[in-house]
Amino acid sequence: MSAATLIARDELRLLRRNRVAVIATTLLVLLTLVAVATSWAHQRGIADLRMRYQQGADRAFEAQPDRHPHRVVHYGTFIFRPLGPLAAFDPGVDAFTGNSMFLEGHRQNSANFGDVRQSSLLVRFGQLTPAFVLQIVAPLLLIFLGYGALARERERGTLRLLMLQGVSRRSLVGGKLLALGAVALVAALPALIAFVAMAGQPGALALPMLVTAIGYLTYLALWTAVILLVSATVRRSRDALLALVALWAVTAVLLPRVVPDMASAAVPLRNRLQTDVAIARDLRRIGDSHNPADPHFAAFKQSVLDRYGVTRVEDLPVNYKGVVGMEGERLTSSLFARYTGESYAAQDRQIALVDAAGVLSPTIALRALSMAAAGTDFAGHRRFLDQAEAYRYALVQRLNRMQAEDVSYADDTAEDVGADRRKRVSATNWSAMPDFSFDRASGTDLARGALPGLAMVVGWLGGVLVLLALATRRLGERR
Amino acid sequence: MNLLRHELRLLARQRLTVFALALLTCLTVAALAAGMAEVARQRAAIAAIPAAQAEDIGAVAAWIDAKKDAGSAAYYSFHPTWDAPAPLAFAALGMRDVSPYILRIRALGLEAQIWDGDTFNPELALPGRFDFAFVLVFLAPLFVIALFHDLRSGEREAGRGRMLDALPGALALWRRRTGLRLALLFAALALPFTVAAVVEGVAWGTILAVLLVVMAYLLFWIAVAALIGRLRWSSVANAASLAATWLVLVLIVPTLANVAVNAALPVNQGAEIAMAQREAVNRAWDIPREETMRRFYARHPEWADSAPLGPAFHYKWYLAFHQNGDESVAGRVRTYRAGLEQRDAAGRALGWVLPSVGVQALLTRLARTDFAAQLAYQDRIRAFHRRLRTFYYAYLFRDRPFAKADFARAPRFGDVPNG
Amino acid sequence: MTGQHAPIHLRDVTLAYGDHRVLDGLSLSIAAGSVTALLGGNGAGKSTTLSVLLGFARAEGGEVAVCGIDPAADPDGVRRRIAYLPENVALYEHLTAVENADYLLALSGQPQDRAAITEALTAAGLQERAWDQRLGGFSKGMRQKVAIAVALLREVPVLLLDEPTSGLDPRATADFNALLAQVRTRGTAVLMVTHDLLSAADVADRIGFLDGGRLTDEVVANGPDRFDLRALHARFQVGDDRRAA
Repeated sequence: MSAATLIARDELRLLRRNRVAVIATTLLVLLTLVAVATSWAHQRGIADLRMRYQQGADRAFEAQPDRHPHRVVHYGTFIFRPLGPLAAFDPGVDAFTGNSMFLEGHRQNSANFGDVRQSSLLVRFGQLTPAFVLQIVAPLLLIFLGYGALARERERGTLRLLMLQGVSRRSLVGGKLLALGAVALVAALPALIAFVAMAGQPGALALPMLVTAIGYLTYLALWTAVILLVSATVRRSRDALLALVALWAVTAVLLPRVVPDMASAAVPLRNRLQTDVAIARDLRRIGDSHNPADPHFAAFKQSVLDRYGVTRVEDLPVNYKGVVGMEGERLTSSLFARYTGESYAAQDRQIALVDAAGVLSPTIALRALSMAAAGTDFAGHRRFLDQAEAYRYALVQRLNRMQAEDVSYADDTAEDVGADRRKRVSATNWSAMPDFSFDRASGTDLARGALPGLAMVVGWLGGVLVLLALATRRLGERR
Repeated sequence: MNLLRHELRLLARQRLTVFALALLTCLTVAALAAGMAEVARQRAAIAAIPAAQAEDIGAVAAWIDAKKDAGSAAYYSFHPTWDAPAPLAFAALGMRDVSPYILRIRALGLEAQIWDGDTFNPELALPGRFDFAFVLVFLAPLFVIALFHDLRSGEREAGRGRMLDALPGALALWRRRTGLRLALLFAALALPFTVAAVVEGVAWGTILAVLLVVMAYLLFWIAVAALIGRLRWSSVANAASLAATWLVLVLIVPTLANVAVNAALPVNQGAEIAMAQREAVNRAWDIPREETMRRFYARHPEWADSAPLGPAFHYKWYLAFHQNGDESVAGRVRTYRAGLEQRDAAGRALGWVLPSVGVQALLTRLARTDFAAQLAYQDRIRAFHRRLRTFYYAYLFRDRPFAKADFARAPRFGDVPNG
Repeated sequence: MTGQHAPIHLRDVTLAYGDHRVLDGLSLSIAAGSVTALLGGNGAGKSTTLSVLLGFARAEGGEVAVCGIDPAADPDGVRRRIAYLPENVALYEHLTAVENADYLLALSGQPQDRAAITEALTAAGLQERAWDQRLGGFSKGMRQKVAIAVALLREVPVLLLDEPTSGLDPRATADFNALLAQVRTRGTAVLMVTHDLLSAADVADRIGFLDGGRLTDEVVANGPDRFDLRALHARFQVGDDRRAA
């Protein structure tokens, strides 16, 4: 048996005999199990709920009576963002983004009813998920168990004793790494088992799960190495503990809050009111549909008349009101696209700033990795928003075309008693409309999104291992 | 006084203590600055409303003036509402980053509008804000741990414990040292806070209340440190057990409690309100219009003497079925709101046993950034919306023309008490 | 000459930790201006005796008085009259000798100015160049000198010493013995507990043999040679044999 293995066995025996260490590890494992259970139940619960709501909303849409197509443009439809299986591991921004959206004509509504506005103030203390336990709590446990690994030996003089016995510095540090690494594995095990269970879920993707597993194991290995590095370089074990807790507080608690604050100050977002006013202003510049003499709409009208070779809208083979509705929707949607594009670009810049801070805090890098792989980051939410907008536009234009082709202009402008009846189209049309179905990101896309975070965590580990190797060479020297 | 100088000199020669106090002061100042900057941004956004609003409503007024149609005016006019940050908001931003503080509404169905959110980046909101409340609730205990974990064990380990205890007035010595460390920690938090609060124009009573909260929270953690110190463990064991206590009380129990509260108090998703309201509103197109009006007049007899509907479209029918829609979901809204209030109350009740939660709840209450403040804002929006409806109905149901000058007569949100 | 009004007075003191009797009828009186050494092996009750006098432990039976005050009833009153030097005189390493003395005197409620402190340090045998050095590099002997200087300035009637000469080299031991003789001339009652027979014989006026929580024997210094070392050693051996039995 090599010296390193012997050292590792000795360290583990010490930890096993340390009642506090055993209790702390057990508690962490229990906490992880609770986090896995509640998070999974929560995820399944909201996934079921949203599916039920979605089915209800689709049924309600299809059950509409005969209606004028423009009524249906305003009746709109509700869509609900489905959750991927990995959201049980790391729900990311799910609680902070609304999960339902009302899609209607002429307007782009916000996603509403996020959990954060439906929960008590406790939600701002963090959410108990396996990701939270592994990102924040597990490193602190490793610190408690490992700060003294080398500092203790030096403080008690056993370090020189070991070295006098012919144990090399490398096998000493290697052995301690092995022992603490084993504890880290024990701490990560329940989450990894839960992971395997989630892999059996429909829609689970192998590649992002692999990246996530590698990321978390690298992160825990990183903390193991950091703990030994500090324990090897600091004079007393108390100093090692305080330094490590401070390091943990800064990288895992402080920076993840400070950096987003700085990012939101550096890149301001235009609020809804200013956006709406700006869109209305731009619309007026393009053309005022309320003004019969408006040059844009006059030209548009002329172009439609020319296309059909007639001189009056009444003579058109299509309902001009539907045609102009399509043109209006095209204009407003292009403005929506421009303004949301700007907003998304600003938010992407904010997130890029935060992600760059992964250089300062591996927790930030891991969080980005974890959410990206689970599809619960902003990019994942945006995927939903983009698809929602595309669906909204297609639906509204389909209804406008229906108005143009299936409702005559004469009926549409009539105001007699029977006119209302004649304006309506058959209810059978509603079930012919395609339902919204969320096209999930592919495993490759999710994994690709997680790669920058993974690269950072791996880079951190590499850097710390180099420092640890340097510190190992000088271990036990008198200073 | 002389003794305190001695103790100060002792502390000043401990690198850890000096570093910790300097760091805490820096963090406090940074958090206050971040909070003040955020509040300034919010105030600037609110201050920018009138210009944008004037432009927007001016354009609407310009083309509506041609028809003088009150219905179109009601339909196309958005009216801004806002929730100005309270003076103390900078110290505890609470929910203001995820709940809207500006919302434009129309005189149409309110339930389709009032739950809307503003633009925010969810990834930035996820970890929570870096404000004074965070520094106090999350970080200050760590500094208490750094300064107090070896208060007695450190002397014992240095071999001075017995000698100090053999001095007359040993008890006073520990009290003095505790008091001095407490005073320094308190000063690092309270002095920058008080300066910021005075700059922001916070009332003295409120400042005093916050300072009391700060003092009480520090005392709680000092008591925990003293309790663990009584076990006469080593400094390092004290530090580890205190940090573990912090982890449990500040991070783990609140997250566990959040799961428990949300499970114990299920709340129907707000989306149900929105869907039900939409069904009620849109059904009006498929039922006889007189039915809608009968229902509306039954609840609002003050408009019942309005002229009967003709065959053509009339906006008073349109607005009436919007209001009917709101009223049809009023019960659901009450239930939903009561559920949210229950959850909030449960969270705050936990504050009685969990100081971390209690302090957060107290600070956000004092700063008017908590859930109750959000509800109060919603109530003001509802009151304002009632006035808007009354205003437009007075034209629509009496068939009075709505001219350019009438736009200026519309209620303004600022006129509402506390608005 | 010994009696109730002696600065240190113990009569029939008993104390047990659970079933273990630590003090078992200990009686001892120390007069002003005299040095008594308590000799005994591990577990004989030496440290407990000091704890009882300092008010850290409460005697279960018998009488304890320091300058007429019961330490259990008024520990602070007793501590105002006692200077206590533990085996390892640990002071504040990041303070200088003068600063340490200044601080400890302030803590005892008897602040003194620098002149008085340096005078006492000189009297305790600490050289001038050491006054303003941080204590980090001080030997035990030098630290003892600072602590004794504090005791001198406090003008306490009672000095308790726990193993004062353990770990001192012969020269430092001689210095310490001279210093103690000086303290005695000021009328201080000194009690030192030790397991070092030679050191006790050097400075004490009286040596008590402590065993099983009681005084088993007592020898008083007599004549120019003070103690018959051979006889003392024999008595100490008897104690050891009895313990072994």
